[in-house]
Amino acid sequence: MGKSKRNGSSAKDNPAFENDLQMVEIHKPKAQEKGAIPQGFECDDHRIPLETLLKRYGTHETKGLKEDQVPVNRAIYGRNVLTPPKKPSLIIVLIKEIWGGLNLLLWACAILCIVSYLFQYVISPGNITPDNLILFVSIVIVVHVSGGCSFYQDFKSDRIMESFKDMVPRQSVVIRNGKRLDLEVADIVVGDIVEVKYGDLIPADIRILESHDFKVDNSSLTGESEPQKRSAECTDDNPMETRNLAFFSTNALEGVATGMVIRVGSNTLMGQLASLASNVDGGNSPLGIELNKFIKIMTFRSIIFGLSFFGVAMFLGYGLQNSVYFVIGIVVANVPEGLALTFTMTLSVAATKMAKKSCLVKHLHAVEALGSTSVICSDKTGTLTQNKMSVAHLWFNNEIAEADTSEFQTGQTFSFKDAGFMALANVAMLCSRANFKPGQENVPVLKRIVEGDASETAILKCMELQFGNVVKYRQKYPKLCEIPFNSTNKFQVSIHDMRNPGDPRYLLVMKGAPERIINLCTKILINDKEYDLDDQWLQEFNKTYHTLGTYGERVLGFCDCKLPLDRYPVGVEFQEDDPDFLDVGFRFVGLISMIDPPRAAVPDAVAKCRAAGIKVVMVTGDHPVTATAIARAVGIITPGNETIEEMAINKGISVKDINPADVKAAVVSGAELKLLSPDELRNVLRHHEEIVFARTSPEQKYIIVDAFQDLGFIVASTGDGVNDSPALKKADIGIAMGITGSEVSKETADMILMDDNFATIVTGVEEGRLIFDNLKKLLAYQLADNIAEMYSVMFFIILGVPLQMGTIAMLLSVCGTDVFPALSLSYETAEADIMKLKPRNPREDKMVTPQLLSYCYGQNSFMEVFSGYFVSCVCYMCNGWMPWALLWNQSAWNSKAINDMKDSYGQEWTYYARQELTFTCQTAFFISIVLTQIANVYCCKTRRMSLYQKGIGNMRMNIGVSIAILLACFLIYTPYLNFYVNFRYVRPEMWLAPLPFMLYMHFYDEIRKLIIRSSTGWLPTEMNF
Amino acid sequence: MDEGHLKQKLAPTQKPKKEDGFKEFLYNPETGAVLGRTGMSWLLIFIFYIIFYIALAAFSLLNFYLFYLTISVDAPKWTMDSSLIGTNPGVGFRPRPDQEDSTDSTLIWFKQQDPNDFKFWSKQLEEFIEKIEEIQKDAGDDKTHSCTLGTENTTNRNKSCIVDLKQLGPCTKENDFGYGQGKPCFIIKLNKIYGWKPEAYGYKDTKSEFNQELFERDMKREQGKGMPEDLARHIKQEVDKLDRKRDALLLRRHLETVWISCLGENVADMENVGEILYYPMQGIPSYYFPYMNQKGYQPPFIMVQFTNPVHGVLINVECKAFAKNVISERIARVGQTHFELLID
Repeated sequence: MGKSKRNGSSAKDNPAFENDLQMVEIHKPKAQEKGAIPQGFECDDHRIPLETLLKRYGTHETKGLKEDQVPVNRAIYGRNVLTPPKKPSLIIVLIKEIWGGLNLLLWACAILCIVSYLFQYVISPGNITPDNLILFVSIVIVVHVSGGCSFYQDFKSDRIMESFKDMVPRQSVVIRNGKRLDLEVADIVVGDIVEVKYGDLIPADIRILESHDFKVDNSSLTGESEPQKRSAECTDDNPMETRNLAFFSTNALEGVATGMVIRVGSNTLMGQLASLASNVDGGNSPLGIELNKFIKIMTFRSIIFGLSFFGVAMFLGYGLQNSVYFVIGIVVANVPEGLALTFTMTLSVAATKMAKKSCLVKHLHAVEALGSTSVICSDKTGTLTQNKMSVAHLWFNNEIAEADTSEFQTGQTFSFKDAGFMALANVAMLCSRANFKPGQENVPVLKRIVEGDASETAILKCMELQFGNVVKYRQKYPKLCEIPFNSTNKFQVSIHDMRNPGDPRYLLVMKGAPERIINLCTKILINDKEYDLDDQWLQEFNKTYHTLGTYGERVLGFCDCKLPLDRYPVGVEFQEDDPDFLDVGFRFVGLISMIDPPRAAVPDAVAKCRAAGIKVVMVTGDHPVTATAIARAVGIITPGNETIEEMAINKGISVKDINPADVKAAVVSGAELKLLSPDELRNVLRHHEEIVFARTSPEQKYIIVDAFQDLGFIVASTGDGVNDSPALKKADIGIAMGITGSEVSKETADMILMDDNFATIVTGVEEGRLIFDNLKKLLAYQLADNIAEMYSVMFFIILGVPLQMGTIAMLLSVCGTDVFPALSLSYETAEADIMKLKPRNPREDKMVTPQLLSYCYGQNSFMEVFSGYFVSCVCYMCNGWMPWALLWNQSAWNSKAINDMKDSYGQEWTYYARQELTFTCQTAFFISIVLTQIANVYCCKTRRMSLYQKGIGNMRMNIGVSIAILLACFLIYTPYLNFYVNFRYVRPEMWLAPLPFMLYMHFYDEIRKLIIRSSTGWLPTEMNF
Repeated sequence: MDEGHLKQKLAPTQKPKKEDGFKEFLYNPETGAVLGRTGMSWLLIFIFYIIFYIALAAFSLLNFYLFYLTISVDAPKWTMDSSLIGTNPGVGFRPRPDQEDSTDSTLIWFKQQDPNDFKFWSKQLEEFIEKIEEIQKDAGDDKTHSCTLGTENTTNRNKSCIVDLKQLGPCTKENDFGYGQGKPCFIIKLNKIYGWKPEAYGYKDTKSEFNQELFERDMKREQGKGMPEDLARHIKQEVDKLDRKRDALLLRRHLETVWISCLGENVADMENVGEILYYPMQGIPSYYFPYMNQKGYQPPFIMVQFTNPVHGVLINVECKAFAKNVISERIARVGQTHFELLID
């Protein structure tokens, strides 16, 4: 069996643990400084004589620490708590939110405003407009609101995480002062003597003092899932190799041991590994990169527009001071204040939606990251599988029978009348040490908690489902003797009194490694007849064993035998230590194989990922065969595809003769991975559609993530262990498991799956993809407003007309009336099946494309500004000013000294009346912006589809639009308030003036989308943002 | 897969293209793209936008045209209270400083001895009068007629009253409007508001009879609001000269006058400003109203002369207009105006 062969060799060709870390260092020089864990873990505690060690920590071998020594050791070596990667203080987080991203741009703008204000204040104190001050204050408010909003979101998800923390502190048996105490793990100090038994988590790094068949599972450290023996002898100078150390947070699998604590908390090996994560450069999220780019573009554009208009203003003779003000005005108008607000809010909305689907997003920017994911590196256990062993197959009567492994199995599957099955079931029920914890009678069988190891649990539950009360059955046939499973025997035996007056023989039942069991058997039960176990039956057995092995299942053999009365009369005492009944000739009854079955929703989810162009890669510490089997079961390796080895076997040729290009699937073990150069690894990743990494250490997961990123993939990686954190941090989106995940991994991750279910990732992907589209729409919507306002300032400069839109009005539109329609865009549903599209290529599909900028700067903003100017002109014309009377008349218009300016009808206007007129027409301009933005939001609603196809079913949008109109009315028509925000009463009929332009925008956009939909070539590409 | 092939495939990832190379953005020698676009691309996008903007401009112009059809060339769409101009006229003055040089300034500062200097100011008055002369000439007799308080001639839709430019006393072009003598003249005028007519003190409305009591009350209120004593006395004297019954019409025409009074703003200014004379009278008679954008309409004005202002001192002058429907407001600068005078 490949299983056992590989087991033997992999431990040897799995060189020292440092090698893994060195590989990490090769890939990531930045991690070098602190990345050298073994150095940090230089330790002689395992080498020095016990006496010296005991003295060093002031403890006693059997009595443990004295009470007064405990606080001393605690003070010196610290508490036994793993400090999660340093979490920045809330204030720093808040400051980051307030100063980071788009907000930085706003701050630059705010500073410009306040400088300009102070400048004005110094030059002409008596004659100062508060606009720049108001703008400064408003921007500061906006920055804090949007920063606070995203801070709140992070804070909220933090709180949810807190609530997920294990409420019941783990206990451990500690000997202190000669007394055995149950202590909380956190209270353990260096020097404590602890007792551990199978099933426990090792509470700290301990040196074994005394052990009995003690074995640990170091898979969370090394990825090596095979149990490792631990005993008191020091076998190696290297602390990682020696047998007398057991490490914090690893599992005790078998036996019992007493050990002395030599390292606690973050000084433990695991603690040091966890701290590696803080040295990993997590990089920026895809959205963060987009945002930075956007900021660059906006800054660049602001400067270009500012400088060129400084030139224009100087040329038009505005004078230096005015020109400087204009430049500031343009720069400020170009900066999207509202976008900073709605952007965060949109992300918050999406994060909330995702949280409802069990996807807890820790950082807002991670919302989109999942959407652009092109590779998911998924764990196997718990994520793809149910994380519980279940009986998958039974072999009896020379037939393989399938057991129900679904998550919701019920009732019996097999017939009670089948003698073969009944014999197997009898052995399975009796030869077991597993038991349900008491008081669970009303709990569904599958959810009951079992004391015992995984395979026994599986068998117990299977039998319970089949027969009902297994416990009662066992009570019926009392156990006389039991030999527990151990690795030398590789079997487990119990002897029962069958309470059958007609046949007083005791029944011996045995289970264990199939090859071991079959060797002990002389007969085999088929249906109700016994046959001699000849070569033919042995062949059948081997065939079945092999088949079940290729399913990746753990197989156990079962046999029984009625002990002959002559050797074992009634009432005989059995010697547990010295079994003398192995030669009686057993009867083979069958095989039971178990697997951790895949979750029900996973195959579907994997198929969805594949349709969505996302590679699903399994990275597991498990055995390649098991991994492959699960990969096939969930569709990570699709039915038609074979690995290179399988292909070689099937074609009967050597692996070397196979063209690598034909191979689509690959199973790479950790040992093989170690031998690959980075280039070769990339090659493997690139050329295989379906990859499974088995027997990998968490460090190798980091290497895999890194290699995928090198190839330009956006990587999502799941992880639950402490030392998964470097990989979680390295990945573009690290996904921790909410239920099984360690605290540390949850801290490092960007997202937490509350139900540990892979399928949840897919819903996250869907949401993330939607948000990318919707953010794009949001940009198109909000930028139009800003840019229209910037153009209004430009036209104001070039045409020398009265100002069309005051600073306050600009703010009120971008941070007021725009907000609700903008938010409603995030509720826009997908136009097509987004899960059928390829993931976006971050190098090509950008959020801010030249087309988007062209659309915003050239098209919709222009329509808005034209509409604004039209409405404004209507306002002036109604009051007696023809547009041409206003052209290049700005200085007279704004002169307080001129109290009798002539309009187009010869009427003479005082300065005050002109100002009022200006405010009124600015209000009209504002109305136009509000209304054309409404037309715009219905344009931005879809990117390809016609509004007539998509409909206006997004009620949030309709409500948002209504709110925008009501808000505008409120601002314009509320007495006193309107005065302070420089709005004036505007006749109701003025609201009709922008209507033609709204229709124009709508029909232009319909035509634009029609072109995009119906044709290909230059024009549609240019028009499609 | 041979090695070379493999390396070729690996090549781009080993040296990832540097994104957003600015130089490459300005000019990409590979594709010949300037600012991210090739020549062809620039041409196409240029053509696209030309069409786009032409269409947008055409649509806008169409809208303008349609809207323009709905408004009249002769009268504003909205007038008086419907319009923002309101019914409270402002007061204007001439000459005024150059707004290009000194924004918001209302300081009239000249050297009495230097004709080149004061010509700047007197010239403005000259031009103002010339403009009126021009209107008079253009309009001809069918559009204008001369009006006095005594006649019934008044401004209406077809005919406007002639502004008599011969009654300006010493404020004439020949006299340099007094600037050379240190006795500067100022034109004070009322802002034209389409359809606006002054209302008279002592009358409830345009149809009712003169009411002495109301008159007294109106005068008292105006005095409380800053009508100078001498102006109030002047009005009362004028009214007293007329017989309430026999001269009823004349009385109304008289009282409908928009009275104008200029004063120093503060106590010191009042002293410094000296004697003030008004030509042809201390008000603008009602027959010049209403302004209705008539062809030959001549803006009525009066000349205010400061006969002995103190030299070398800045004098703040405030001129106010008084009528029943003119409410002076300093902040909004309606019903009054303000300027500073400094003679060297």
